[in-house]
Amino acid sequence: MIAALVVAPILAGLALLLLPRSADVAAKWIGVAVSFAAFLVALSRYGAADESVRWLQRPFVANFHVGIGTGPSYWIVLLLTLTSGCALMVTRLPRMRDFVVQMLVLLGAMTGVFVARDLMLFALFWDLMLIPVFLTLIAWSPSKTAGTAWKYFVYNLVGGLALLLATAAFGILQGTTDVLGATAGAFATSGGWSFWIFAGFALAFLIKTPVWPLHTWMPDTYADLPAPMAAIVSAVQSKAGLYGFIVVGLALFPAAMHAAVPLMFALGLIGLIYGAVAALVQDDTKRVVAYSSLSHLGLIVLAIFSFNPIALGGAVVYIVAHGLFSAGLFMTLGEVEAREDTRMLGRLGGLGARNPRLAGGLTIVSLAALGLPGLCGFAGEILILTGLYQAGYVWQTIVALVPIVIAAAYMLRVFQGVMHGPEVDDLPEREDMSPLELLALAPLVIAIVLLGVNPGPVASSPHSYETALR
Amino acid sequence: MSVPQLVIPFGGADWLALAPTFIVAVVALVVILADLFLPRPLRRAACIVIAIAGLAGSGVVALQGWGHPYAAFGGAFVDGGFAIVFEEIVVVAAILSLLLCYVLGRDDQSGGAIALMLWSASGAMLMAGAANLMTIFLGLELLSLALYCLCGIASRPAARESALKYLMLSSTASAFMLYGMALLFGATGSVALSALAGPTISTALFNVGCGLFLMGLCFKLSLVPFHVWTPDVYEGAPLPVTAFMSVVTKAGALAVLARFAYAALPSPHAQQILLPLWIVAALSMIVGNVGALAQNDIKRLLAYSGIAQIGYIVAALAGTTALGLRYAIFYLGAYMFMNLGAFAVVALLSRERDEGSRLGSFNGLGYRQPVLAAAMTFFLLALAGLPPTAGFTGKILILASAISAGYAWLAALLVVGTAISAYAYFKIVRAMYARTTGAAIQRPFRPASALPWLGVAVCAVATLVLGLYPIAPSDVLPLVK
Repeated sequence: MIAALVVAPILAGLALLLLPRSADVAAKWIGVAVSFAAFLVALSRYGAADESVRWLQRPFVANFHVGIGTGPSYWIVLLLTLTSGCALMVTRLPRMRDFVVQMLVLLGAMTGVFVARDLMLFALFWDLMLIPVFLTLIAWSPSKTAGTAWKYFVYNLVGGLALLLATAAFGILQGTTDVLGATAGAFATSGGWSFWIFAGFALAFLIKTPVWPLHTWMPDTYADLPAPMAAIVSAVQSKAGLYGFIVVGLALFPAAMHAAVPLMFALGLIGLIYGAVAALVQDDTKRVVAYSSLSHLGLIVLAIFSFNPIALGGAVVYIVAHGLFSAGLFMTLGEVEAREDTRMLGRLGGLGARNPRLAGGLTIVSLAALGLPGLCGFAGEILILTGLYQAGYVWQTIVALVPIVIAAAYMLRVFQGVMHGPEVDDLPEREDMSPLELLALAPLVIAIVLLGVNPGPVASSPHSYETALR
Repeated sequence: MSVPQLVIPFGGADWLALAPTFIVAVVALVVILADLFLPRPLRRAACIVIAIAGLAGSGVVALQGWGHPYAAFGGAFVDGGFAIVFEEIVVVAAILSLLLCYVLGRDDQSGGAIALMLWSASGAMLMAGAANLMTIFLGLELLSLALYCLCGIASRPAARESALKYLMLSSTASAFMLYGMALLFGATGSVALSALAGPTISTALFNVGCGLFLMGLCFKLSLVPFHVWTPDVYEGAPLPVTAFMSVVTKAGALAVLARFAYAALPSPHAQQILLPLWIVAALSMIVGNVGALAQNDIKRLLAYSGIAQIGYIVAALAGTTALGLRYAIFYLGAYMFMNLGAFAVVALLSRERDEGSRLGSFNGLGYRQPVLAAAMTFFLLALAGLPPTAGFTGKILILASAISAGYAWLAALLVVGTAISAYAYFKIVRAMYARTTGAAIQRPFRPASALPWLGVAVCAVATLVLGLYPIAPSDVLPLVK
């Protein structure tokens, strides 16, 4: 059944190509059904046994080994299937059938990344998830040139190839790549080659996250992607790198991870502050969210490299939390754009009066993003900061607090710029959120509150990797 | 040194070893006869059917020898796992190329062309088992002579240029190779590859002979810097011929190269003598992919891509490990399917007097023919080494074998080359899926024949299956007796 979570969406997506072009609405609802079905199946697989089929015997052992367990994989797959279902519900695009195909392929490929228990399978899905995003950027990007698509593709392909080379080298060194989720430390490597192998993995993870200074593909990509795909790319695809650091880095390269701490702290802190400051001055609302992601994900990098169990638990909570609220932000801002044909703060204003429901939705996700206690963002941040402090990184904790304050500023700036102020006369006046759009946002809001109130199950989930920390 | 026997008793087993090659050569004659006597409307179809049946039969016969290695004709032709795998690759590649033959010239030319393709294939099959210098040269010339004619078969000026260029350059390369063989013979006193493996041989004569011999092979494999002919010849030759050349010549030459590298070189010096070959492979990976970037014609692009891909394959041989040889063969098989699949797509886009190989003919294909565009995307993913394809798995295997043989630098360059190549391949993907003007989308889709669809389907399935279940043939060593 876990394998079906990966294969079924991809096959369903490709099967949609056989529908007539006019079947846009049917395609959309098939996509929604597949996503939510995947969510329900994933939900019921808590702690399910792994599934494995032999792939390669030589030159190293590799298996089609998937597992969902009870750790980060489980929560991220839930996040992924939920956000992609919600995002598909509110999709309104030309050539929607083809778009749903890309979304479903992306859903399957990303699920594969998070359930793979074999490094080579991990690499396979890692590269595969590039393709639908590239195709979407080419076919739906508003710009005439394909610059954004190439930027996304080249950056991430370089990362993917580094990952591939590192995987091959790891396989030769260890004789197997079926090592993810194995007893932690059993395959831990150190010395000589392992540094270079880790460097290959780290490059891929840093680009995908992205971490400053490898982030330049991200704002363009998020701005050019249609809102539903931007939602799941920012919510989930960007977490693949952080997830990689947790399950590959901590478990297999503890020595190299320790050696990389100063560098990663430096990059994380720079990203944290740079992202926040950059978010403060963007005019494009999608770019605000993009730069805020850079800032938030920098915090998670600090958490992972602090080698503190509380911070690590907080990292997983914040991975899921950021996924929830950034998907919510992209969806609500996408609805603003769909109504007003612009997403520039300079043009927008005063929508709140006529669109109270939209304003309400944006309020909740913005508050989650700026870390209001009781919502999911706060739960992750407080755990991470506590863990960082406990691990002895005092001044780093203080520096990390600053962008959290700035987050309040830029999120409220977006909210104020879009919803408050005088109504702009020449903007089209459209209906408020439809019941369907409310329904699509509701699961995310519920999850935001639930995770904010009770982050415990998620925070304790990286227990299985904890031995790798000591 | 043993005294050469003047009377060598050849038994039935010797002829049986060569039977697959003979079948293909004889079927070529049948094709010519059919072309002479059948009524005009039936000719092309009949020739294709006969040729495919003959090739398939030959493939089946070749398989009978599996597990029974035999050195036929006093070691001139070594039948065994290695030869059989290459024979099968040649047979399958020829069949897949024949499926594209409806875009090949006029009806009355097709019989001759198909016969020439079969003869050329039989040359490659001879090279697959050739274990002495004479047989190698015989196979090589049989392969090449037929191709000279095939390149010029279309009535375009570019075709004549292509044929002439190929004739001149290829003959020069053959001359180099022949001279190398003469020197090798002088150094060792034997034409058998097994005789070259003597542990003491490392004279200047021997080294120069090896160098010239390898240069000739590098030309046939179109490895940098002996690759300059490839794009022009590929562009000028008719599409099915280009498809055929791109796999069959490489398979034949690679078989000889592998046999020479693994079996013939004296082991203490082998790595020094072969080092230039790995450097040439590295150059091919980089130069081929950089060259592909600027191409706007799919045939030229696939020519440069082929230069790079053969670089990957030769890189797998680095260190001449047993696993490396298996992965080289695996990747050659994978390359055959993904490359010929792409050619089949081009064939479907071809019309009379317009080979559909311009990049422009792909504009908006994703909206006109979604399935065909998806197939093309899949083949391009495979060529770029992205999952879930045989190209991806093959590349991991090559990386692993290069790293474990101690050639990590070659693996790193392979990755660099792959990164460069992605732009070239995805330029086509972009053309297919980018929003285009209405004119491009309205371009009608009228393939000359539905036959290439079969090629597309077979290649797509094979590329997927080989990626998920990589079958690298065992039992390919030893290469000489």
